[in-house]
Amino acid sequence: MKAITKVARDEWRFWHRTKLAATIIVIGTILTIASAVINTIKMQEAMHERQHLQQSSEAQFLDQPDRHPHRMVHYGHYVFRTPSTLSIIEPGVDAFTGTAVFLEGHRQNSAMFAEQRQASGMTRFSSLTPSFLLQVLVPLFIILIGYGSVTREKEAGTINIMVTQGFNVWYLILGKYIALVACALLMLLPLIVAAIWATFNGESALITSSFVSGYIFYILVWSGIVLAVSTLSSKNSTSFASLVAIWIMLCILIPRIGSSSAAALAPTAGKLEADFSVLEELRKLGDGHNATDPAFEQLKKNLLVKYNVDSVEDLPINFRGTVAQYSEEKLTIVLNQFAEKRMIEELSQAKIARQLGWLTPTTALRSFSMTVSGTSLETHHRFLREAEQLRYDFVQSLNNAHQNILSYQADINRHKDNAAARVSADNWQVLSSFSFKPDTAQTRLTRSLVYGGQLLFWLVVVLVVLRFAVRRVR
Amino acid sequence: MSLFSNLHRETKFLAKQRNLQLLFATIFVLSCFAVWSGISETTSQITTIERLIEKDTIDREGVLAKQSDYGSAAYYSFHLTYSSPSNMAFAAIGQRDIYPWKHRIRMLAIEGQIYETDADNPELSFLGRFDFAFLVSVLLPLFVILLLHDIRSVEREAGRYDLLVTTSKRQQRLWFSRAIVMCSALSIALILPFIAGALYTQASLATTGLMLLVVLGHITIWMTLTLTFTASKAAVKQSSAKIASMLLAVWLAVAVLVPVISNIAIEKMVTSPKGGDILLTQREAVNDAWDLPYSATWDEFLSTHPQWKNGIDMGPTFEWKWYYAFQQVGDQKASKLSNAYREATLKKDKLASHFAWLSPPMLTQRLMSSIAQTDTYAAMRYEQNIRNYHKELREFYYPLFFTENTFNLDKMSELPKFSDHKEKSKG
Repeated sequence: MKAITKVARDEWRFWHRTKLAATIIVIGTILTIASAVINTIKMQEAMHERQHLQQSSEAQFLDQPDRHPHRMVHYGHYVFRTPSTLSIIEPGVDAFTGTAVFLEGHRQNSAMFAEQRQASGMTRFSSLTPSFLLQVLVPLFIILIGYGSVTREKEAGTINIMVTQGFNVWYLILGKYIALVACALLMLLPLIVAAIWATFNGESALITSSFVSGYIFYILVWSGIVLAVSTLSSKNSTSFASLVAIWIMLCILIPRIGSSSAAALAPTAGKLEADFSVLEELRKLGDGHNATDPAFEQLKKNLLVKYNVDSVEDLPINFRGTVAQYSEEKLTIVLNQFAEKRMIEELSQAKIARQLGWLTPTTALRSFSMTVSGTSLETHHRFLREAEQLRYDFVQSLNNAHQNILSYQADINRHKDNAAARVSADNWQVLSSFSFKPDTAQTRLTRSLVYGGQLLFWLVVVLVVLRFAVRRVR
Repeated sequence: MSLFSNLHRETKFLAKQRNLQLLFATIFVLSCFAVWSGISETTSQITTIERLIEKDTIDREGVLAKQSDYGSAAYYSFHLTYSSPSNMAFAAIGQRDIYPWKHRIRMLAIEGQIYETDADNPELSFLGRFDFAFLVSVLLPLFVILLLHDIRSVEREAGRYDLLVTTSKRQQRLWFSRAIVMCSALSIALILPFIAGALYTQASLATTGLMLLVVLGHITIWMTLTLTFTASKAAVKQSSAKIASMLLAVWLAVAVLVPVISNIAIEKMVTSPKGGDILLTQREAVNDAWDLPYSATWDEFLSTHPQWKNGIDMGPTFEWKWYYAFQQVGDQKASKLSNAYREATLKKDKLASHFAWLSPPMLTQRLMSSIAQTDTYAAMRYEQNIRNYHKELREFYYPLFFTENTFNLDKMSELPKFSDHKEKSKG
């Protein structure tokens, strides 16, 4: 043990002496701190802005004057997706999905105003998010610091001396491994601070600790790769060139190849194309605005029998409201059916891309980090589902007011006497307030298990390679 | 020694180096994959558009046949608009995965519809696509650095440097020809799949030529940079790995830091109205109109369409012309915000094009997607196409609403048709 710590301390001393390693650590740490600060401010602003918009949207709805209830169905309502607490480190798909949905009767709108659509287009490859830095750049920094760990000793011939003197090569490698990991962990510090901050801001401690552990695993994996290649190479220059090639492959190429392949292997039809089938189905249901549509004949007959009257005028309820309610229900079933299908397709596409986590630790960590922090596609889908639930609830409550509060006579004469065909604004209170929360800690952790498994797999692979490399030295 | 014999010798050297051949083979395979995935993406977009056009026509004809007045015809019928990928789009998917390239609109207020997107899977957009433009703009510099960083130091480390320098007549030529051979091999590995792709999609000679110029230009920039650096005082007596680290730092600065910092600067320089505000304005205008006196709508409407001032009498029941008039008014009220929103997007794009001069990878990326017409500018042009088409629809329907007309299905065959106007050539 003493030997190991001595090796580690020597390694640190060497890095301290050669300015290059020290510079990299400083630059890396400054970059991650800067990105963590900037991103925290940005996401906090986004969170406050969206919460504020949500409240003002609700207030605006409630402030509407007395109206025909169906006006309110079309007036509609906005919901906003507030970012999850850990999005200060891992914003995930936040910039690529719309963050607001307009809810109205008879339609399911898509999320609008994705940030990337109004961006300068400069941040398609790189972004100043802590997650990008930690997932893509920190491995490069680890390479720059550690490529010569073992080859340096080989070039100087010192490793031969140690081996012949009976010094255990494992001690040497472990010492260097600890030194390298400790170095990389310095760059992880801002993430740890941010995670603690997130814990105090209401994120479950289980989530934040798993999140940090994921990144620590990643650093263990990359430090292992660097050390293994350095041990296997004979010269500094070959070790360096191979490591940079490996970095390009694992950090940049394979994740993108995954996304391109997923798009090519499992193409999705797109919302627009599905909408043709949706419209076709909906037309069969009849237009809920038109109570005389033949599609509602059966409904009318049933009601007349139920209330034992001869015409819709004599019904104790407003038949137009009944039709609105009935057709909204049928229509929502169809819309949800197609929406679910589309979400399942999208998710299976994303999962194909995530499978490449078995080929590169970067994709493994990225999937892990997104699912744990609640910024993955699943969370966006959850937002869409919750928004839809809210939409259905308030539209049906308004239709209920239409059926039970507004009289049929006033309703059919609404164009002659607009003022009589209104209900009191008290009825707008049906809107329940919306505050989006990501999935529970348990759901997110269960979802991330596979990707945690991928990271573990990588750690095992790296340790096996390292073992092989050490044997070669002997 | 002539330059030609220099090149000849270096080519023979190259032919013997196994690991270099492996690198070139890998780059060739990557380029093949990038071109293949680009072609597969654009082909699927083209066939999707073809399918949509067909479905759209059938759908509309079916809907129109059931209508009995022009107002309902306009309300229930949708119209497909699209922007098909150019022949060169396979090489640079550009912004086409965030901006929509297909959209169905109807006669309602355009501001309420145009922000709906049928975008790609957000998680895949987040991961980023691997297209030819990415290979050339981001990875190519890394390949050049890997190839050329040790051009001098490897000889120095092998102890041949002084011998080489003293025996060659002009030592600059020696390094230069070696670099030329390496970069030519790199170019060939990159470009061959691209040319095959361009032939397959029948891209025009001019755009293919322009793309090739950009690729070669980018290689030249990095070759010059690497050569100059390895010859500089800072690099003398440094190990290969140290030189490469410093070159990597340069790459990191221009490929990662400059774009990120420019983005922050651009966000600060341009203020844009919130997209949500446009929709809110439009929604308030359209919904209030139902409860306002008719004159409120007509005053606003006639200020832009005075020719219909004799057609605004209202009967006792609902009239479509009033309905579409307040849709128009909704657009008019939101137009100031909406124009500012689009101007902000274009201004950001313009600023980005200036900032791109600080970063060769960014510049390359932008030039390539501009040649392929897949950039932000092209997306904005498509949005303008949609707006123009929506205007044409209004011009078609208004005479039918405002003059007494009984519904005639034959008249609907005169509905304006959307055409996908592309800019023929870019200046």
